[in-house]
Amino acid sequence: MIDTALIIEIILIVFKVVVVAMILFSLPLPLTWIERKVAGHIQARLGPYRVGPHGVLQPFADMIKLLFKEDIVPEKADKLLFKIAPIVAMVPIFAVFVVIPVGDKFMIPGIDREITLYISDMNVGVLYVLAIAGLSIYGIIFGGWASNSKYALLGGLRSSAQMISYEISLSFSAVGVVMIANSMSLVDIVKSQGVGFWNWNFLYLPVGPVWFFVFLIAAIAEINRIPFDLPEDEGTLSSGFHTEYSGMRFAFFMLAEYVAMVSVSVLCVVLFFGGWNSPVPLPVPIPGIFWFVAKVAVFIYFFMWVRFTLPRYRYDQLMTIGWKILIPVCLVNILVTGYMKIVLL
Amino acid sequence: MGKNTVSRRIADFISKGVFADFIKGLQVTFGYNLTMHITIKYPDQEKWIPYSRFRGLHTLNKDEQGRELCVACELCSKACPTGCITVIPMEDDTGRGISDRVARVWKVDLVRCLFCGYCEDACPTRAIRLGREYELACTDLSCTKKERPELLKPQSIPEAITGGVVAKARFIKGEEGIRVEADLGKTRKMRW
Repeated sequence: MIDTALIIEIILIVFKVVVVAMILFSLPLPLTWIERKVAGHIQARLGPYRVGPHGVLQPFADMIKLLFKEDIVPEKADKLLFKIAPIVAMVPIFAVFVVIPVGDKFMIPGIDREITLYISDMNVGVLYVLAIAGLSIYGIIFGGWASNSKYALLGGLRSSAQMISYEISLSFSAVGVVMIANSMSLVDIVKSQGVGFWNWNFLYLPVGPVWFFVFLIAAIAEINRIPFDLPEDEGTLSSGFHTEYSGMRFAFFMLAEYVAMVSVSVLCVVLFFGGWNSPVPLPVPIPGIFWFVAKVAVFIYFFMWVRFTLPRYRYDQLMTIGWKILIPVCLVNILVTGYMKIVLL
Repeated sequence: MGKNTVSRRIADFISKGVFADFIKGLQVTFGYNLTMHITIKYPDQEKWIPYSRFRGLHTLNKDEQGRELCVACELCSKACPTGCITVIPMEDDTGRGISDRVARVWKVDLVRCLFCGYCEDACPTRAIRLGREYELACTDLSCTKKERPELLKPQSIPEAITGGVVAKARFIKGEEGIRVEADLGKTRKMRW
């Protein structure tokens, strides 16, 4: 007995998965171009300019170059680990997007069917995101270990230490949001924030801003971007865990890095900036997905902006910030949040 | 003293807590992001016109009657620190030069030349000048030696133009290679 409703449901889910995967695979193309443009203009340069108008075709040229480059596997490398490491780094970050709500559910006018703009509404969404995103560190450690190169190994070790330290503060700040919203489902977290920026978790005074900045700092450390990009510190490690990679395998690492940046921006928006809700009540309905994309774009720009502003932290400073500042701040903040929830209910 | 340091430490702590230093840095970079770039779009659209003091490719000059100023005294080749100038004189009474001694060969080896301008200083008749031509690259060794007939051609940028501007230019790809042709009528000042 085959149920038609079930089949339609499955087809819908497969369709959504394909769409999300396609978007995520193609996102790094514009993002690399934007990043180089932002870098250029911050340094009073132009950035890529020669391939296509204003260099918009530069990512395609880069992609063609990476496709045709020789895929070098070092002789003494652990071949299997070396080959699967980029995939291991990439897959979990894609998997995070299963629970990301892009918009609310809406009805298709003609056929009277409800469509949800998320693949799955897990009741443990936050937990799932943290657990899956944490897995991608294996890709980096595998890559560093399997390369059989001292730079790559040091990069991998640094990255594991860094990720373990900052995973704690990241999870704590997510716990803060869960306490504020009374739910672990990302959809419910967004719904609890509502229309109007004064309702968003970011402005849940006095603890909201603290949670947000802790989350932001820990997230930058998690995705290995400047000022916390010690795993791929060019100055001392030549390029860290992907020193020995070339061609498409290197491209997979870069893809993972850019998608991680997108996922962190998305999480900032969902957890702290009201997801698809508009910042002020508007008389004209604007689709929620517009607000969502706009907010994510602002965060992506912010990460690029920070990258070309701040220098890299020293390793001991990194550990000090993680263990001596962020974690105590988190613990105090959890107490305050709990007190507020009990007293204010 | 003690109180002062304590209050300063508290102020420090607060400014760290609100990311005062980061915000200052972010303001600076955002300001740059909004202001204009200083890039010269060199081969495609623009070209830098150097000042007249610029020392580029050598030129041999003529006087108003079109006679060569060079008297083949060989002072330039004596003054040259790298010995890259070869001058072979000859006698000539057809009025090619301003005297009856002219250069049969006047050759400069651009690979050895360091564009110091000593030849300019040594020249008693101001025949040799370092011009403003700076696109000297080529794909073989043919262009590394420049001889008299080529150097006698008038300069692409006249002496009257002060320079120090960016001119609109055209990028030309031809049979004989590539070159960038500047339009001296349309220039702009640099923004730095």
